[in-house]
Amino acid sequence: MREKERTIANKDAELVSSCKKGNIDAFEVLVKKYQKSMLNTAYRMVGNYEDACEIVQDAFFSAYKSIKNFKEKASISTWLSAIVINLSRNHLKQMKIQRNREAFSIDAPVLTDEGKINVEPGSNELSVLEKLEKKDVQQKVQGCINSLHNEFKEVLVLRDIQGFSYDEISDMLKMPEGTVKSRLSRARYALKDCLKKVTGEL
Amino acid sequence: MDCHNIQEMLSSYIEGIISPEESKLIDEHLSACSKCKEALYDLKKTLEYVQNLKDVEPPEWLTQKVMTRIRSETEPRKGILQKLFYPLYIKLPIEAVAVVLIAVTALYIFKTIQPEIKPAKAPSEHKVVIARSPESFRDDKAIPKEKIASPLARNDKNELISQKVPEAPSPVAKQVEIKPSAGALAKEEARPEVLGRAPKAKSLAETKGEILSFTIHVRDVDNAIKEIEESLMQHGAEIVKIEHQDEKDLITAKIDSKKLKQFISKLKDIGEVKEKDMDLGSMEGYIEIRIEIVRK
Repeated sequence: MREKERTIANKDAELVSSCKKGNIDAFEVLVKKYQKSMLNTAYRMVGNYEDACEIVQDAFFSAYKSIKNFKEKASISTWLSAIVINLSRNHLKQMKIQRNREAFSIDAPVLTDEGKINVEPGSNELSVLEKLEKKDVQQKVQGCINSLHNEFKEVLVLRDIQGFSYDEISDMLKMPEGTVKSRLSRARYALKDCLKKVTGEL
Repeated sequence: MDCHNIQEMLSSYIEGIISPEESKLIDEHLSACSKCKEALYDLKKTLEYVQNLKDVEPPEWLTQKVMTRIRSETEPRKGILQKLFYPLYIKLPIEAVAVVLIAVTALYIFKTIQPEIKPAKAPSEHKVVIARSPESFRDDKAIPKEKIASPLARNDKNELISQKVPEAPSPVAKQVEIKPSAGALAKEEARPEVLGRAPKAKSLAETKGEILSFTIHVRDVDNAIKEIEESLMQHGAEIVKIEHQDEKDLITAKIDSKKLKQFISKLKDIGEVKEKDMDLGSMEGYIEIRIEIVRK
């Protein structure tokens, strides 16, 4: 098993070094090899298949452009995943900004005399959960992941879905392992609470 | 250890990544605390849910799309940029060169036109030429034969004469002729063009009615006629007729006004010339001249 891993790593290293020499076909091999796991990472992060596809394309594109910066110490899959996570984060930020803008424009009359916005976040969340109750388990779980804070989402996706080691995750996210552990713990509890609400029973 | 602390560690406990001591502590707590036990169960269940998530399959076009984008945007990107700016690489220098060329040409034309205005409006110069001493004409005498070949050379000579005049007519004059300065040559180069352009036909008609008359007194009429004829030919003149009258011979010819001065000076070598007061400078194109040859 370990030997197999090593040969994979060697093969990847070979591919990467020929990519660095400008071999596009070698990069295509890498794309074919890793597109699925990258797509799943992105999909779990943003919760939308089309957006995930866009993110993966962008990720591979920027990976190709910056492949010369890739250091062989890390594995190519962690490197690519880090790019995907970064792009997903940006995407989520943009979505949030967009949603806020829309909220402001649509709900403009809701502004009260004090100038506060009369929108109850709780009611919104509830309706999301209500919607989720009608969907199948897969969608419920994804819906709950979507509801997580981004910093929890990424550790959960990387650890519990993609199965990266704590070491690798702390490298990717550039944070100490302790932080990864505590965030993961909180992410799991938050997910548990959400799933309990959505499914009723675990 | 309270439930809160225990539950914080459960996440790591599930994965078995805590120390044996901590693990033992948690085991002990769990056996006594149903709340924490439930939490552990829920957590395990949650993890199960997450890990049971089915992978989504990438669309078939994904690789192709990624690669097309990389191929078209990384390597051929230079090509696209080159296509966009390639003409500019050529255009800009060409435009720059063209601008410089136009400027230089304009300057050149301006410079060549300017001196032409002077001889046309300075009749005094010609009078000086006419009044030269015979000595310097002798020097001229030999030259026309050599220089008549090209109009450039003739013009050149014209210039030289006017250059020479202000100086004292002395043997030095000859040297001036032999070594025409490059500047003078260059200036004269454009001269036939400028002068010869429009005025020719027009002034021909204008000056046709005007006939310049000379009277030349010579000892040997026949010889003088020959010499005059020769000189006329040398100056590119067209002999209209040669008449023989009682006391005089009459030569009528058409001559380029530009060569008139030279011709007159030549004429003076042949004999004693009497000319009516006339403004040679104001004439252009071909002029009809009549030379009366009278025996002394």
